[in-house]
Amino acid sequence: MAERAPLTIEVPLAHAARPRRRWMPVLAAGLSIGEYARSLVRRLAFLVALLLAGIWALDGRGYLWPAWAWLGMGVLVLVDLGAGWAWRRAPGAVRRVACVWTAVGVLATILVCTWLLTWLLAQDRSFWPAWALLGLATAGSAYSLVALHDRVLVAHGRRALRARVDMLTRTRRQAVDAQAAELRRIERDLHDGAQARLVALTLQLGRAELCVHEQPEARTLILEARREAQLAISELRDLARGLVPPLLADRGLVAAVESLAARYGLGTSIEADAPCVLAPALESAAYFVIAEALTNTAKHSEARRSWVRLRNDQRTLTVLVGDDGCGGADPRGSGLAGLRARVEALDGTLSVRSGRGEGTVLEARLPCG
Amino acid sequence: MRVVIAEDLALLREGLVALLRENDIEVVAQVEDGPALLRAIAGHQPDLAIVDVRLPPTFSDEGILAAIEARRRQPELGVLVLSQYVETAYASELIGEDGAGIGYLLKERVGDVKAFLDALHSVACGGTVLDRQVVAELLAPREGAAEALSGLTLREREVLALMAEGRSNTAIAESLVVTPGAVEKHITNIFAKLELPACVDDHRRVLAVLAYVRVAGGARPSAASI
Repeated sequence: MAERAPLTIEVPLAHAARPRRRWMPVLAAGLSIGEYARSLVRRLAFLVALLLAGIWALDGRGYLWPAWAWLGMGVLVLVDLGAGWAWRRAPGAVRRVACVWTAVGVLATILVCTWLLTWLLAQDRSFWPAWALLGLATAGSAYSLVALHDRVLVAHGRRALRARVDMLTRTRRQAVDAQAAELRRIERDLHDGAQARLVALTLQLGRAELCVHEQPEARTLILEARREAQLAISELRDLARGLVPPLLADRGLVAAVESLAARYGLGTSIEADAPCVLAPALESAAYFVIAEALTNTAKHSEARRSWVRLRNDQRTLTVLVGDDGCGGADPRGSGLAGLRARVEALDGTLSVRSGRGEGTVLEARLPCG
Repeated sequence: MRVVIAEDLALLREGLVALLRENDIEVVAQVEDGPALLRAIAGHQPDLAIVDVRLPPTFSDEGILAAIEARRRQPELGVLVLSQYVETAYASELIGEDGAGIGYLLKERVGDVKAFLDALHSVACGGTVLDRQVVAELLAPREGAAEALSGLTLREREVLALMAEGRSNTAIAESLVVTPGAVEKHITNIFAKLELPACVDDHRRVLAVLAYVRVAGGARPSAASI
């Protein structure tokens, strides 16, 4: 039989957890000398106020003379609290304004309380501090306005700047998207328009060639015309491929990258996750990053294997292209600079790690939003 | 020979029809998209289908998909795919397991009428015709291809490339400026080096081209779609 573990019950000791309140502060309780002195003075003032009240009571409760002493001590406490409050503001204009308002508050309190006491003790009914209070409030407001004037302007400027940055970011993205869509439209127009007409032309020329096979001169001319047309077709094809690789337009990024990798024959392994439709601008940028990276790998790296990873978490498309080659790629080279411009136009980032002898890893992060 | 044409651009379609009719090839149907192609093939039982890669409605790769589907339904049907650009990926997909009766050419090749008609007949009779651009891309010096085809001499590779374009022995001999006898010798060497089984010569030619496509462009990396 298993031995039962000794049962222990923990009783929460409420009184033990709470620190004991001492009426007189203790220096060792983590207070600085200044704080210690202040709390000591506050307590002494309280004791003195009580003492004066006692003397007044014993003296026959005539004219309430201790009130003036209470007012003096109250003003001291008020100055202490106000200075503490002002000092907790951030240094600079805000703290200066807080100090001014503390002073205004203390002076206003002195005026109002003095008036209250003269009214209570001497039955003086006119509200004489009115003009002084108005002057204090005006002076405080004027000072605040002058001191905080810059801050108000800066805050306004910052808001305007942020709005402008937002607008520029949005319109730039729209421009990049529009450009990508336009390139695809041009590619399609070339395909269905000029290219198709040139193909039809070669077809007619081919038929014409057969018709004139008895006239060698005419035949040679037609043959030459057909070759010219074919050259034009292949030039247009190269142009269209530079705008948007056809496989990218037809089948999307992964198919285009697979074809690219197969063309270089580097034994590139490709991993892609999170199926989703990408914006044309994003797809093109990712494609050209991978194409440039694989071209560099094939040309310079002497790599035995290379890899491409595509990760998409709906917010960012991360493109990683790496190899196990000799490394030492120049991140300021013209090819990489062009890629960086393409990626940054989409608010993306491009980084290259290419220590000598450690292979090269190129990482592009493109926001999908 | 009875032919079905799937091409959405009227200009090209009509030119193609006129060209074929002038050369005594019967065009039994002209269609503009993939589903119509499948219906026409089922209805007319043609010997050959000429298919454009980009067809409505999405103008991407419907032609390739329709061609593969048509071949699945009628394995003996010859399919010649025409495109304004060639992709080795499409070539590998079209050929699949059996490249007999498959052709994949750039559209502008129709200008060379004789070669185009040769290609049509070759595909209709179960041959394999690949555009020389696909062949050039497949032949580009690369690690995998270099290893697998390393046994072949330079001249044998040239002969193999021309075979992949669907050329006859005589045409290959003309192109390389050698005698037809020399071409035959090269071809026998290629068959031996690729260890192709002894069977009908035409079929071995297809097998040689296939071996070549698989080695050079066939090993596709696996990946999910994005």
